[in-house]
Amino acid sequence: MVALPRTALHQDRVPDNVSTRSTLHGDTVLDADVVIIGSGAGGATLAAELAEAGLDVVMIEEGRYYTTRDFTAEASAMTRQLYRDGGASIAIGDPPVMFQEGRAVGGSTVINGGMSWRTPERILERWRREAGLEHIEMPDMDEFFARVERRINVRHQDPETIGVDNALLKRGADAKGWKVIPNLRNQVHCAGSNNCAFGCPTGAKQSALVSYIPRALHFGARLLSDVKIDKILMHGKRAIGVQGHVVGDPATGPSGARGHRVVVRAKLVVSACGAIQTPALLARSGVRSPSGRLGHNLSLHPNVKLTAVFDEPVRGWEGVHQAYQVREFEGEGLLFAAVNIPPSIVAMTSHQRGAALGRLMAEYDRTVIAGMLCEDSATGRVRTISGRPQAFYQLAQLDAEKLIRGVALLSELLFAAGARSIVTPFAGVPALRSHDDTRALYTRTIKRSAMEVVTVHMMGTAAMGTDRTRSVTDGYGLVHDADRLMVCDASLFPTPIGVNPMETIMALATRAAAHVLDNLPRYQ
Amino acid sequence: MSYQHPPQVRRVLESLVPVVCPPEAMELGLGADIVDHVALTMSVVPPLFRRGLVLGLTTYDVSAVLWWPGRGRRAHRLPLALAERWFARWEHGPTPIESELAKAVGQLLKFGCYEQPAMLERLGYRPQQWIDQVKRRRLTVYGDDVRRAEAAILAPDPLRPRSQKKERA
Repeated sequence: MVALPRTALHQDRVPDNVSTRSTLHGDTVLDADVVIIGSGAGGATLAAELAEAGLDVVMIEEGRYYTTRDFTAEASAMTRQLYRDGGASIAIGDPPVMFQEGRAVGGSTVINGGMSWRTPERILERWRREAGLEHIEMPDMDEFFARVERRINVRHQDPETIGVDNALLKRGADAKGWKVIPNLRNQVHCAGSNNCAFGCPTGAKQSALVSYIPRALHFGARLLSDVKIDKILMHGKRAIGVQGHVVGDPATGPSGARGHRVVVRAKLVVSACGAIQTPALLARSGVRSPSGRLGHNLSLHPNVKLTAVFDEPVRGWEGVHQAYQVREFEGEGLLFAAVNIPPSIVAMTSHQRGAALGRLMAEYDRTVIAGMLCEDSATGRVRTISGRPQAFYQLAQLDAEKLIRGVALLSELLFAAGARSIVTPFAGVPALRSHDDTRALYTRTIKRSAMEVVTVHMMGTAAMGTDRTRSVTDGYGLVHDADRLMVCDASLFPTPIGVNPMETIMALATRAAAHVLDNLPRYQ
Repeated sequence: MSYQHPPQVRRVLESLVPVVCPPEAMELGLGADIVDHVALTMSVVPPLFRRGLVLGLTTYDVSAVLWWPGRGRRAHRLPLALAERWFARWEHGPTPIESELAKAVGQLLKFGCYEQPAMLERLGYRPQQWIDQVKRRRLTVYGDDVRRAEAAILAPDPLRPRSQKKERA
């Protein structure tokens, strides 16, 4: 038997400076310079930058610390373990939008597809113009993006890992003469295991779990996993720490019992738990934004999927997830990609049932799942009900029309690639079998309630801005009308960005770290 | 697992397996396993959602009594043809409550159905074999690059000059 090289960093054990539910015996009280709630794209990046600069940083994560070898292709088990609410969180509206948040050390970077795109320049310019943000345009942001890209190894995919589903997507785009580009992903020789959404089983995807978090820990940061923060401790308007408790194992369901109490006192408190959890945490801590905008401005990048059946074998699970993006309609806020998902999730999100479902699924190995992201124009809201966040989001008519147009365009591409039939995300619409069927989509009445819409990009609920009557934080994430309280996640986005948000979050976190270091005396 | 179906809910779900899942699921005798899987999923969904599902399934079952073609029977006692019609009535129900309940229950059953190893085997879906194969290839072909990248994760690269570094106690 050939001995293989040792696998990547922290892939098979919990590091020493990580405390978990099995090591947090009794109530815990800690002191630190900075306490960061959340260990995803924002929290881990900020933690690593500040720890390297010599600050005493404590990260707190509600989810468990998983190692690379914990990640398997068992969709159900992984979903229960890595996703908040088993991936069944719902934004209430017409249609209801199912959304997913990571709940593990590394946050949603553990379960995302690894797409690493800079914020489009038109968006940064919009943020400057509409939110009054300074030093936010590309010449200022370039160094932060470049630093993030170096740290998480943003690269094109090795060609041998591109599977048939992605090759077909590219074939269709080329046949139509549409702009299609290879994706940039955070990976070190990604093997194309196509398990991104359930944790990378090879350690190739440079999620925060295997990049920023090991770095933060190496430079002295501490991490408490399995700890849910109940509230930020305030002294007047100054944040002075956080209080929470140890939680049970999410894979076995809520135990109902509250674990030991955890208190961390700190000179700077950072909420980095995502655009759904951050506004709820601030609200239940008594933080009030003078703008009244906390929890408002929720954008979702509504996302729909098509199931296209081909005559040739596809075996979409063999090869990288999203090797390409079709950018032809980027100006309209539409992106297309091949996004293979396991049979259980294809079946779950399909409108078919019974024998019709059986016929569709029997062709799973000849199926391309294609997804579409839509830059939305409407905003929703996160309300805090009994301390828990609940998202509300109404798909705008304009966006509904954009989704129909996008599905028609993507169907054209898939037929050009050789698809035999296409199942749309619209209930009541029969499978498309020709270009004529595709064209008919434009004239057909499709109710919003018939649309199967999902998302993983929640943004904007504690938006940055210079005007404290219209925004929740300043341009670096410091909460207006509070002291030593920062937000560092996608809540900060003043508008949707039209591309995958991970790199933007990381770049803003790097920029926030630089701001803290430039103003250290303020946090002594 | 902290959630288990109440007996009434379990009976309704078992009666819905042949309505929602493909015929192969029943041929393979997977009804009980699929319903067990629904319980697993329900154990991690938000408590309010779970309570809503239990209440909704009970209502679905009991209200069938008032449906004339059912002749006073609860939903879980309807023969398959009638059970399909009753479910379809809820799918296209007059209010979003009925249709969203039917959709959610359908999603749980379909998810549970295609998580059964026997169903995946019929599709020829064996992702773990592929993962093991490419994982090995990556370390064999790119082992040196992988180790270099790991070392780079821990290499110093201060964001600001070290003069700004605070002295740790």
